[in-house]
Amino acid sequence: MVNTYGQLYTIEGIAAGLIMLLTAYIVVNSTSIYTPGDTHISDMQLEVLGSDALNMMNTAPNGSIAKSPLQTIIEHNDNAAFAAMFLNIVNNRTGNSPDSIQFVANMTYVRPDYTINSTPLSNSTRSLTGGEHAVHVSEWVIVENKIPESSVQRKRAELVEVLLWRD
Amino acid sequence: MARLNDDAQWIVLMGFMVSFSLFFLAIVINQSTVVGQTTAEAVSEFPKNDIRGVRDVIVQWAFMDDNDGVFNNRTNVQKDIQILSLGRQNSVVNFTSTTTNTNLGLRTYIDIHYNNGVTAYNAYNESYSSP
Repeated sequence: MVNTYGQLYTIEGIAAGLIMLLTAYIVVNSTSIYTPGDTHISDMQLEVLGSDALNMMNTAPNGSIAKSPLQTIIEHNDNAAFAAMFLNIVNNRTGNSPDSIQFVANMTYVRPDYTINSTPLSNSTRSLTGGEHAVHVSEWVIVENKIPESSVQRKRAELVEVLLWRD
Repeated sequence: MARLNDDAQWIVLMGFMVSFSLFFLAIVINQSTVVGQTTAEAVSEFPKNDIRGVRDVIVQWAFMDDNDGVFNNRTNVQKDIQILSLGRQNSVVNFTSTTTNTNLGLRTYIDIHYNNGVTAYNAYNESYSSP
């Protein structure tokens, strides 16, 4: 027999069901985009860290007009000094253990016939295999050298390009 | 359950409130990841470091000494910057500098035009005191 008892309970039941369905839908929906958002954020932070490190290396001590450490490293092609300085800057952190950022650095220059060429400058102990999720940063330097070896000694603008990733 | 009664209304009301607050918390969680992603994407796509880098090297170029007529340092370095920007950073860069004697002393004026197809950066008549 049909009667009108329990109407409030019925309405509440339907409303609660709808709310639970909507909540579940929104929660499931939000987790599906969580991973790409997360990698973008850490990429951005790694990129800022790397370009700040290169900027520090390309700043002359005490703001003098002397050459910056990076200019000296490139003029002497000193890959060990680059690796030591760069890894020290990017891997330093508070606490006992250092961070585990790895890098590969290239130096890009213009040949006398106005084509572009890159030569390896330095790299960390772990070499690039292709599976890493690396970010790219670059820094301009003006140095005086002969590159390629057959060209004349003159001032050049060159681009230090670094791929870095967290191991 | 003989008839409709109005007992336990507080319990029903609390049930509604709890479910609504869960609903709004879910919306907050949903939005927070989207906000993080779009912010990081916007930061990664804007060529802030490219523009800063090229501006930095252009200011260094403007104050290079050009006494050495043999190697044409300024002309060569300007060409290097333009070729490398186009080849490695997908950007067209053009820049000039003039040094004039004003009533403030010797000043260098720099014009920079940078365009990578998405972002353009133009600086007109940036002036620096010449050393």
